[in-house]
Amino acid sequence: MHAVVRRKPAPALSGARRRFAWWLMAPTLAMFAANAVFPLLYALDVSVRNYQLLIPIPAQFVGLANYARVLSDPLFWSSVEVTLWFIAAVVFLQLPAALGLALLFNGLPRWAGIAVTVLLVPTIIAPSVVGFQWAQIYNYQFGPLNYLLGLAGLGHPVWTASPSLALPSLLAIDFWEWTPFLVLLLFAGLSALPPDVLEAARVDGSNWSQVFWRIMLPLLRPVIGIALLLRVLMSFKTFDIIYILTAGGPGAATENLAYYTYIQGFRYFNLGYASALAIIQLVVVAVLAKALIGLTRRPGLASVS
Amino acid sequence: MIPTFGASFRRGLRAFAAFLVLFVFLCPVLWMLITAIKPPGEWLNSPPIFWPSNIDLGNFTEALGRWGGFKGLVDSLAVASGATLLSLVVGVFAAYSLGRFRTGGETLSFSILSVLFMPPVAVAVPMYLFWRAFGLLDSFTALILQYTVFNVPFICWVLKSFFEDIDPTMEESALVNGATRWRAFVDIAVPLARPAIVAVALLSFIFSWNEFFFAVILTRARVTTLPVILPTLMEGHDIRWGSIAAIATIAALPVIALTFALQRYLVRGLSFGAIR
Repeated sequence: MHAVVRRKPAPALSGARRRFAWWLMAPTLAMFAANAVFPLLYALDVSVRNYQLLIPIPAQFVGLANYARVLSDPLFWSSVEVTLWFIAAVVFLQLPAALGLALLFNGLPRWAGIAVTVLLVPTIIAPSVVGFQWAQIYNYQFGPLNYLLGLAGLGHPVWTASPSLALPSLLAIDFWEWTPFLVLLLFAGLSALPPDVLEAARVDGSNWSQVFWRIMLPLLRPVIGIALLLRVLMSFKTFDIIYILTAGGPGAATENLAYYTYIQGFRYFNLGYASALAIIQLVVVAVLAKALIGLTRRPGLASVS
Repeated sequence: MIPTFGASFRRGLRAFAAFLVLFVFLCPVLWMLITAIKPPGEWLNSPPIFWPSNIDLGNFTEALGRWGGFKGLVDSLAVASGATLLSLVVGVFAAYSLGRFRTGGETLSFSILSVLFMPPVAVAVPMYLFWRAFGLLDSFTALILQYTVFNVPFICWVLKSFFEDIDPTMEESALVNGATRWRAFVDIAVPLARPAIVAVALLSFIFSWNEFFFAVILTRARVTTLPVILPTLMEGHDIRWGSIAAIATIAALPVIALTFALQRYLVRGLSFGAIR
């Protein structure tokens, strides 16, 4: 197949070429077979059985019953809602803020790279360290945040323990932790823009907003696409800060899909049900990935996939 | 061109705004660092104490000794270095194969990428059973291999476009002059992709150093990485805030230092070859 598609003539080498290419790919394929394909098939198999670790009867085939139960489970839908909040915050808050910050830092003199790296500190420290830092900040009685609010006469919210504020509190942490990462990607994209194009536009007499909307944004589109792709799909994995700060509570106010799956699997040991949840997530993530990759494509140039 | 007053005023304003943003973003980190050097009586106070009366490094000795911080540091270093090295070898091979030879076409490329987005919780149960079947629960091997699975797709993704951008004529002329494909790959293509390779090595190290979920599920007492130690100390009544802050600092500083050391590769390496 490869030999047929290739336009450049390299017929004598094509067999060796192909063999070399697959040898380089072999370790990856072996690893993915064991650590991605196997667990997926296993989860698929468990998801059609009533497999509960705590009940010592053999698991029976139940068809799609687990999936049907998922769809009528109010806790599932509330976890979907929480997951959607995390995604919405990425698209409507983190991305615009990151674009603004990337433009701000891009206009700095020589130390712009250093400034972006300093900003990146929240992203590179461990999420469990992040959880600890914010447990201190949000501390009801002794935290610096409530102290400052008290000085301003704005009251003493309980933050992560409040049904209405727990989710916004976590979204704030997510914003703090991951907006810098988007800034890095967009800043790298801005640095790679051809300076002569922007210069020519300015000489032409275009004002700043014309340059931004007509030239910068279209040129940045692939980078913005990659940034969105990475962060939207990563937000499905949000787990650590929930585990450390709220454990999904109060009630199920901060239980996202990943955390709900974890609870079903590792606290209640409903492995069949948890596997159905996992498979549904995987399908949604794969479909979203395929759709978002379209955003990163440019005519005539290589795409990410 | 001589900058006008207006232009230099705007530049100053921009620098000020940047400093303000950086300060706000660093506040939680600074609060951790300050707590780490506070004596025990000043951890929890109302009103909070913004600077300790005397700098107390006892938190660090307590964190390293009593709370297993030293073992955590060694284990984290072993896991993160092992996973980074293995990921780089496997990932650079695969990325070159994809970028230069289009191995497996779009389908393979997308399949590899989709592993990156696989929610860990979705494969946690089967992977637990998998490592248990090999007797590898609570082992460095399991954690290193598990992290490699998540590092490789990211490495492939970033490096693939880099290898596509490298002009193949240099490798081809080396082949004509009698070099093997292996030598053309190792001696010509890999050095050209170096900035991107350093960037993905850094990000792989950071991911493996910080990873929490699989570390919680796959390890117990034999392997304890730093991120796992933290939340266990935050339970119960007598929470030693100062020594937790010290452990958190010990967990945070190495990746921060490494990122600053390799900072210039980060921006160059992560442009994804997206804009040429």
